[in-house]
Amino acid sequence: MDLLPVLLLTVLIVGYFVLAGCDIGLGMAAPRLARTPAERRRLVSAIAPYFLGTEVWLVAAIGVVAGLFPALKGVLFGGGGMWAVFTVLAFGWIMRDAGLWARARVDTDRWRSACDAALVGGSWTLAVCWGLAVGGLLSGGRPLTPFALACAAAVVALFLLRGAAFGAERLVPAGPSASAAGADEAARLTRLLARTALGAGLLAAVLAAVPFTGADLGRPWFALAAAAAVLAAVGATSGVSGPHLSRHTSALALGAVPVLVGTALVLPLDPAPPGTLVLVGAAVVPLLPLMVVGQVALYRMLRRPAPDHGFFVTPPPVPAGR
Amino acid sequence: MFEDPLLLARVQFALTAATHYMFVAFTLGMAPYVLFGQLRALLRVDSTGMRAVRFWGGLYLVNYAMGILSGLVMELQLTLNWSGLHDMFGYAFGAPLAIETMAAFFVESTFLGLWIFGWDRMGRWAHWSCFLVVTLTAYLSAYWVMVSNGLLKWPAGFSVRDGAAVLDDPAALMANPSATLAFAHICVSALLMGGAVVMAVSAYHLRRRRDPDGLFARALRTGTVLVLVGLVPTVVTGGTQFVMYGQEPPTSGQSYTPAEIEGIESAYGDTSTAHLIGISGDLLMMLSWAVMALLGLVTALVWMAGGLGRWRWHLRVAAVMPLFPYAASVGGWVFRETERQPWTVRHHLTTADALTEMSPLAAGASFTLFTAAFAVLGITTAWLLVRFARLGPDAGPLRAPEADGDERRDPVTPL
Repeated sequence: MDLLPVLLLTVLIVGYFVLAGCDIGLGMAAPRLARTPAERRRLVSAIAPYFLGTEVWLVAAIGVVAGLFPALKGVLFGGGGMWAVFTVLAFGWIMRDAGLWARARVDTDRWRSACDAALVGGSWTLAVCWGLAVGGLLSGGRPLTPFALACAAAVVALFLLRGAAFGAERLVPAGPSASAAGADEAARLTRLLARTALGAGLLAAVLAAVPFTGADLGRPWFALAAAAAVLAAVGATSGVSGPHLSRHTSALALGAVPVLVGTALVLPLDPAPPGTLVLVGAAVVPLLPLMVVGQVALYRMLRRPAPDHGFFVTPPPVPAGR
Repeated sequence: MFEDPLLLARVQFALTAATHYMFVAFTLGMAPYVLFGQLRALLRVDSTGMRAVRFWGGLYLVNYAMGILSGLVMELQLTLNWSGLHDMFGYAFGAPLAIETMAAFFVESTFLGLWIFGWDRMGRWAHWSCFLVVTLTAYLSAYWVMVSNGLLKWPAGFSVRDGAAVLDDPAALMANPSATLAFAHICVSALLMGGAVVMAVSAYHLRRRRDPDGLFARALRTGTVLVLVGLVPTVVTGGTQFVMYGQEPPTSGQSYTPAEIEGIESAYGDTSTAHLIGISGDLLMMLSWAVMALLGLVTALVWMAGGLGRWRWHLRVAAVMPLFPYAASVGGWVFRETERQPWTVRHHLTTADALTEMSPLAAGASFTLFTAAFAVLGITTAWLLVRFARLGPDAGPLRAPEADGDERRDPVTPL
């Protein structure tokens, strides 16, 4: 019984990294993968409305921390450094989302450029802040130690890899005539990104053994095991294997990152009092089927090519300022 | 002002919450309207009705974006800036929020994604069912948030052990009168708000003699009905809450003795800025309601006289209708949240103690960053809403691909 809430939190956080990693990473890689207006439109259509179903995993995880593990907040946000990282993360998050929501609402190049800047900048801010958060947590709440920065670099590379693997699939155009340059470029990038992630991850692993670089691990052996899983996953695709495999290896690697943090640190995971558990269980369990059905249905829709018409891509028929 | 983290954090939260609620009220008011509109269009196999659904649904989505963004920031702000609240009340105040995020928002957002994605790509009833789930979970979400908020005003259902609240009566938490009455108040006043918005947009187009397929004449009637139906329940559910005014909440005395409570409250005083702002909020709410009641009455008379949708002076009046429910919503929330001061959780935790320890620099930076972002995003969303409301059904964000004369990518070939 005590294990269930911990399992719930783990599933939510891992789910967020695996699923949202796709749209955050693709947003980061947008300048490289979408160079023409049609490609940019297709890229946005690949992210939205997919992101509506992925960021909810993080929202739910924050809710679980607030309601079932309030003591965890002291570790997560303790010290001014971590507080700043998460505050900037929140800012990057709303910028990214605002760019996606607003992009198709005004039909001018300036508007779209501003929204694209918010999308790309926000996605990078999110990934960098998650990197610093991971590194900071593994450095005892100090996000700017050499070790934390190496961790951050690895996490950022993993987000990019996840986005590129997603793009290699989703940026394929619907018709045979349109160019698939974005998807091809994404496929090519996966190997380079896997190598970068591998390099940064190895550097972090080496720094963890060097004194005074910041690593502060409560359970170093668990950390080593989880890190080995991350590195093995990216290592598998840093050689000859193409983008097809990196869809799964990037998911494994990015999903293993929160597991690494959770197992390497001794976290205050005391079970909530029975009254709270009963309330949360009774209210959430009846809705679990809907949660699952909605998520599965959303991802099933992703099997088709990204649509070229709809709320997130159709601009209004008249220019702004009429 | 920039030297006091407490004041900054309070103003920041007030701005976030007020912005959030303005967009949330629109969402709650508009969701049933879109839902029943789509149901009607489905039952009648009515393409003009579906055109109306695409129009109002487009406005719903433009508005929803800001609701979701401000909601995310509000949740994170609660976590980052008000850790004292979570330290003491995590298991009681945080539990309904945890439920809200999983059992309401998670489902709502996923199914809204499906609804957006599903136009022309899903069975008609499956598509409608997605919005049914969106509507139900939107209200469920409002309920759980009010359970959390109600606990602050009327702390019940827990006992304080070792300085932390332990939830021992979940039923009392869920049936908290401060939560249930406020939730009912929100439901009926959101209908009022939705009705006022529908009225105003329709009146705007009717005044310019634009009424494709009688869409706006019909909407003006429905909007008027919603406003008239919502007026009295709004004041009843709002007024009933004053019963709790001045009473001791059930858990009073567990954290502070009556003498200490007396001391904290008298040190704060009855004439503090917060209370004065609260009284102005209350006045604004009541005045706005009075104006709405008056306008509703006038509209009813106009309708009886056969002038609804035709008398131009009335269309002009109806077009400003939404100003009043918006003013009333903000006024009402300002009143609710300031009336509780100096407490965050009445008789348990002062607002000063609920604040995260942070430097004035950090508080100032956070305040500036989010207030600026919110100002830009809020104003942009409001501008887009007005713009798309004015552009009408032919230019809506959800309009059918055929409306543009686009060649469909996958045309349905007749068998």
